[in-house]
Parts: sequence; structure tokens; C-alpha cells
Amino acid sequence: MQRRNLETAGTTYSYLRGWFYIPGGLLIILAALANWEVGPLRHTWAFPIAALLIGAACLPIARYYNENYGRVSLSTRQHVRGAVAVLIGVGVMVGGSLLMRSRAGWSLDLPVNAAAVSFALVMLISYAMGVGLKAHHVIIWGALLVTGALPVWNGTDPTNIGLVLTGVAVMASGVFDHRLFVRTFGPSKGPNLQDSDARA
Amino acid sequence: MLEPDDDLILDRLIHEPGRLAILTVLSSVKDADFVFLQRATGLTKGNLSSHLAKLEEAGLVVIAKRFIRKKPNTNVELTAVGKQRIAHHWDQLERLKSLSRTAGRQ
Repeated sequence: MQRRNLETAGTTYSYLRGWFYIPGGLLIILAALANWEVGPLRHTWAFPIAALLIGAACLPIARYYNENYGRVSLSTRQHVRGAVAVLIGVGVMVGGSLLMRSRAGWSLDLPVNAAAVSFALVMLISYAMGVGLKAHHVIIWGALLVTGALPVWNGTDPTNIGLVLTGVAVMASGVFDHRLFVRTFGPSKGPNLQDSDARA
Repeated sequence: MLEPDDDLILDRLIHEPGRLAILTVLSSVKDADFVFLQRATGLTKGNLSSHLAKLEEAGLVVIAKRFIRKKPNTNVELTAVGKQRIAHHWDQLERLKSLSRTAGRQ
């Protein structure tokens, strides 16, 4: 029995329910398409509706995880760590984007994809603080970080391309997260998982 | 030769591997339901039920039965005494480990 594995079961459950990242990544890609005014997304009402539909798609995913793998509430300490990770992430994203490439007078105006770099850093920080970086996190988010940091993003604002790349990375990371989740907790059609008869 | 140390007596209730696993999982979360504990510990339904009953009887966990979407759900939370005893138990195990290393070097 590995003590560390038992103690991190709760955070592993929370961070590696990878199927949630599929609609999440799709939402980011749709945001880019909406910015580009592609197809029906050129209408202002289209993106909010798409976002609601994607949000609704999370409900069966939540039910899948709850029914097959149970429910767990994280401790206050874990919630605080998560909140700190979010705050750091927001700071990195906003500050980093403005510093790297923006209309601000103090911007470095670097020929990089600030959206891709910021998102990659946020995700790396979030995973590192939450559940620890796994190999696929380093590969996927490291690749996005390197791609975004290449000095080739001259010309017009490459934010939307960065969003598309990020959306794809989120979905890919989600697939591998879920695989690791299943390796940790077993396949969904696992042993008899009816509720207990303790205190029946 | 090591002197006998009464402080190194292990808690028999907690030391059973199944119960140790259950309490270790619960020590790092606020609460968890039966299905999650089964997944996290790898125990069978019957074993887990039996261990939880013993732990509840000893006052180390609180078990709450509820219904979610008309299905029964058993939620388990560590009590303050349970938190203290599992933390103490792991401390004891760590002390034993370092003592055995020291004895091995002598």
C-alpha cells in the first residue's frame, strides 16, 4: 500500500477527470471562431448559446464520474491551494499577456503568441500545485509553451490561433488525464459498486 | 539492543491494512462516499462495509446515509478523534522505520 497514493486520491480524482476538458477545450476553440466571426458564430447571440450547450454537456460527464467513481469533497486546505493556483494563473495570464504583447506602453511587444504562452504556464502551474506534473502535462503544455514562445508570431494579433492551439491542447490533455484516472481508479465497469450496506 | 518503548505500540484497530487505507484516504479529504472509498482502496464491497462499521463503532468516522437522484449514497467523514489517531499512527510507523534503520546500522 502506497501512503502517498492514498493521500492524493482525492486530488487525483478532482484534477484528472479528463472528460470535462473535452467540452472545455471546445469552448476555447469556439471562442476563437467567434472572434473570427466564422459561420453562425458571427452573430453575437451564437457564442453564449454555444457556451450554454457545452455547459449542459458537462452534466452527463459529471454523472458518469459520480456514478462510476463516487463523490469526494476536498479539504479546506486543498480548496485554498486550488484558489491560490487560480489566482496565480489569472495573474500570469493577464500580466503575462499584457507584458508580452499588448497596446500598453510598457509592453515588450514580443513576436510571440501571448495567449498560448500564458495558457500553457497557467496549466503547468495549476497541475503542478494540484496533482503534480505528469509526463503528458509536460509534453502537451510544454509543446504549447514552446510553440507560443517561438519568435515567429509577427504581424497581426495571433491570439485566436493561440486559442485554437490551447483548445486542442486542453482536449488532448483531458484524454490523457482520463487515461491516468482510469489507471488509478480502475475501468468504469469495475467491481460491484453498489452502495454499502454499512449500518443497514 | 533497543530498549522497549511503550510509546511505540501500534493501534491495532487502525493497523489492519484495509482500515489503514480507508483512514489514510479520508485524512486528506473533507469527506468521501462509499463508491469513491471502494475505488481508492481497492476493497470489496463487503470488506469496506465491515471496516466502516468497525470504524464507526470506535468513533473514528461518521457515516451518513442519504439519497442522491433517488439512489442511496453513503457518505463517510473522519471525526476529530479519527484524524488524531491516524496522524499518530503514521507518526508511529515513521518512528519505527527510522528506529529500524538506526538498529540496522549498529
